[in-house]
Amino acid sequence: MKRRDKMLDGLGQEIRDHIEAEAQDNISRGMSPRDARRAALVKFGNPTLVMEDTQGVWRRLWLDELAQDLRYGLRILRKSPGFTLVAVLTLALGIGANTAIFSLLNAVMLQSIPVRDPQQLAVLRWSAHSHPYKIGTSSYGDCKPTDWQQPSSGNCSFSYPMFQKVRNQTQLFSGVAAVAGPAGLDLAGNGTASIVSGELVSGGFFQTLGVPAAVGRPLEPADERPGAEAVAVLNYAYWQGAFGGSSTAIGKSIKLNGVPFKIVGVADPHFTRLAPGKTQDLWLPLSQVAALRLPWSSSPEKDDSWWLTIVGRLAPGTSSAQAQNALSLLFRNEVIQSSALKASDDPQVAVLSAQQGLTGMRNDVGQPLLVLMGAVGILLLIACSNVAGLMLSRAAARQREMAVRLALGAGRWRVIRQLLIESMMLAFAGAAVGVLLAMWGANALAAFVAANRYSPLSLDAGPDLTVLAFTVGTAVLTGVLFGFAPALRGTRVNLTPALKENASGISGAGPAQKHKFSFGNWLVVAQVALSVIVLAGAGLVVRSLVNLASVDPGFDARNVLQFGVDPTLTGFYKGNEMEILYRELHTRLSSLPGVTSVTYSSGTLLDGGLWTSDVLIQGRADPSKVETQMLAVGPDFFTTMRIPLLAGRVLNQADVESVRDVAVVNKAFVRKFLQNREPLGLHFGGEQSKDPQYEIVGIVADTKYEDLRKDERATAFVPLKKHEAHFAVRTASDPHLVIPDMRRVVSGLDNELPVFDIRTQTERIERLLFNERLVARMASLFGLLALALACIGLYGLLAYEVAQRTREIGIRTALGAQRRDVLRLVGTKGLMLVVIGVIFGMIVAIGVTRSLGSLLYGVQPTDPATLFAVGILFLVVGWLACWIPARRAALVDPMVALRCEG
Amino acid sequence: MSTKDARKRIELLQGTLDLLILRTLMLGPAHGHAIAKAIEFRSDEVLQVEQGSLYPALHRLIKRGSISVEEGFSENNRRAKFYKLTAKGRRKLAAETGKWERVARAIGQILQPVREESES
Repeated sequence: MKRRDKMLDGLGQEIRDHIEAEAQDNISRGMSPRDARRAALVKFGNPTLVMEDTQGVWRRLWLDELAQDLRYGLRILRKSPGFTLVAVLTLALGIGANTAIFSLLNAVMLQSIPVRDPQQLAVLRWSAHSHPYKIGTSSYGDCKPTDWQQPSSGNCSFSYPMFQKVRNQTQLFSGVAAVAGPAGLDLAGNGTASIVSGELVSGGFFQTLGVPAAVGRPLEPADERPGAEAVAVLNYAYWQGAFGGSSTAIGKSIKLNGVPFKIVGVADPHFTRLAPGKTQDLWLPLSQVAALRLPWSSSPEKDDSWWLTIVGRLAPGTSSAQAQNALSLLFRNEVIQSSALKASDDPQVAVLSAQQGLTGMRNDVGQPLLVLMGAVGILLLIACSNVAGLMLSRAAARQREMAVRLALGAGRWRVIRQLLIESMMLAFAGAAVGVLLAMWGANALAAFVAANRYSPLSLDAGPDLTVLAFTVGTAVLTGVLFGFAPALRGTRVNLTPALKENASGISGAGPAQKHKFSFGNWLVVAQVALSVIVLAGAGLVVRSLVNLASVDPGFDARNVLQFGVDPTLTGFYKGNEMEILYRELHTRLSSLPGVTSVTYSSGTLLDGGLWTSDVLIQGRADPSKVETQMLAVGPDFFTTMRIPLLAGRVLNQADVESVRDVAVVNKAFVRKFLQNREPLGLHFGGEQSKDPQYEIVGIVADTKYEDLRKDERATAFVPLKKHEAHFAVRTASDPHLVIPDMRRVVSGLDNELPVFDIRTQTERIERLLFNERLVARMASLFGLLALALACIGLYGLLAYEVAQRTREIGIRTALGAQRRDVLRLVGTKGLMLVVIGVIFGMIVAIGVTRSLGSLLYGVQPTDPATLFAVGILFLVVGWLACWIPARRAALVDPMVALRCEG
Repeated sequence: MSTKDARKRIELLQGTLDLLILRTLMLGPAHGHAIAKAIEFRSDEVLQVEQGSLYPALHRLIKRGSISVEEGFSENNRRAKFYKLTAKGRRKLAAETGKWERVARAIGQILQPVREESES
């Protein structure tokens, strides 16, 4: 600024002096003073304009040139619409795919918790060297517990008494809240009975989070007191959906698990979740846990269940280290006193930021999203090198333009800047189209993710500031990546031959051009190599998916529809009424048209759930307890699921109604626990005499239970008594067709009994393979896009080369080269590039595919068959991409070729 | 002449005018009017430059560091600004002159046959 002012200082005077001097000269040449002055003025031009222009040199040079470059760039891009379209679409694909995956990643990993000042919010997590003794712990996916197979343990769930002690630490926290859930609750009193998802929260929950009510009031500390009226606060979206957003919902009474609750308010619309992806329909006070008959805690005061996730805001001036020390002391006293842990276990409490600590959905979709982010990152690189290749061949075509501009005095950097601005314009146009693609893609992806989850899910995958910043950043990076090298090369022009080229008729590759081609070649090699990496990864995941899908689960999963009913929630079924209900359901469902057989069980196989139990087995040499998988089943289970009976008998209606405990075990159970012994007639069961002691009455074949990856393990099937049940209906044709009849049967027996979790066994297995399917599907799509882009790049390069060498090829043909020779000339070059690219790609792929780790099944990260197939695929498709330009070269008419440049 | 046209002409001549200014300042520091006269005189008045366009060009060159400015007194003893070639400007002049000569030669070569034809 200062320099500019100094320079412009006295400019007016300088101009006046200049005109004055000129006038003096004119006078001395004999003009009259008036004429002399006029002539001087004419010669000088408009002084005001000169002043403006001179000031403009300082003020607007940069901006002006930018505007000029933009205008020029626009004109250039409009002049070659084909190039512009291809480049913009290629970039839109790359940037769009990145934005789409990133918006999901953002929603799951980065978005802050939608409460007031989320960065202040902390979550508590305990850890110890061993597992707490006789304590049930669950954080319901709020955070990631230490793997239970580890000797040490850790989770973010605490007992109610511990929560009360933390809440009393008012010098540490300005607010503390506890939350448990989701619970599937049977809701009646608002249309048809339905299952809703609710969280139990402490009275200060909304206050601590700083979440106001949109309508009515939030939950308050008084609501948590024993004996307080049972009240509920609705999620805004649920209120909109289930109550049509009507204010008459406030004050309305609904029944949850048969208990009347009064709706007192609706939470703020922004408050959709605490942990990522965990959306609730409603919030209830903690103290209702016993009334709702939830299994988490028989009464809140007990300390044998750790079922509460504790979040809090640190008091001003308290460091998390201070809080950590104080809470660890509290926790240690608490757990040692209740003998849940020993002092030697070193029980500790960590105070984590809620953003990091509350992982929620990150637990299961984090890894596949990161893998996909890697894939789209590579895709973007391919798109960049593709467009860089296009720019390069254009730069060659624009050599004369560059030479003229440089010759007329444009600085090299100015021309480079011009070219970079053109790249940026392409990149931003690509980003604009890409964002549209991404919005559509991210929503489709979010829907795909949501469709494969059981609990309701809200994923705000829409573009926010983070996503926008990401896209703009990507666009800039992209523009520089694909624009810089071609710009540098394009302006490294040897002026004289460049200007002469056409006029003198000396065509073809000068030294500079040869050099440039090798860069173009490397770009194609890079594209092929990068595509090989994506395709190899995709191939491995697809193979894993195929392997998993062809795993024999040990039962017939086709044409089976399952649905859950939970009569225990309604509270109406006493004595043997539940048995009667199940028997009646069993009979009526069996008589439905199209149904071949019906059964029920405590859970369904291959649904991600598992029930295990530690049992003592009679007559074993080793008297210690062993762990077995358990499943409670009703009559006809083995016939309906088509699990072959190997010895003894299956379980029947009489077993369900009898007081005698019998069991059927699988082959793995016998193999593992009862070698060389006759299993039938043996007993197994819990340590204490009041625990059921099951007599083994049959042996069945092995089945998968928890998921498809784990081996068949020892399993005992016992009669289902007084427990919620999943009914399974085997049909002759499409099992979805019986759903309406099935609903009629259930509501005919009990109108207030909700039916939930209606899915076929095949759908359950698909959900189990969700991560693999997600990655396989998306990575294949990205892999094919990468392949297509690489082929377009290869084709573009060869086509350009053939066009450049038309004359050379014409001479060769004129001198007697056969079509075959010309084909070979061009084809060999292209195939060589593909081969080099494939080799590089393979080398990198072998290193990179390791990161797929847990997504793979039955295939090594370096699986030779997959890599080989990808290589062959590339050679075939690459050959096609070479063939078209090679053929065009071979068809060159020597006469035409020689004449056109002669 | 409309202002728009004037702007256009300045822009078109930009590169060339810069070169001419640098060449003139090779002979020593000069003030604006002197530079204008020198260019006119040395080009046998073929290059008719609007004298005013000199000033934006001078300032552009200052900004790029090719010339510097200092206060002095003109022939008639008035305070005036004198423009002076810097070391950077000297290098630029050498480079640009070389480039310009190559261009001129190239264009000359291209045009030569045409001229011969028309002359014969």
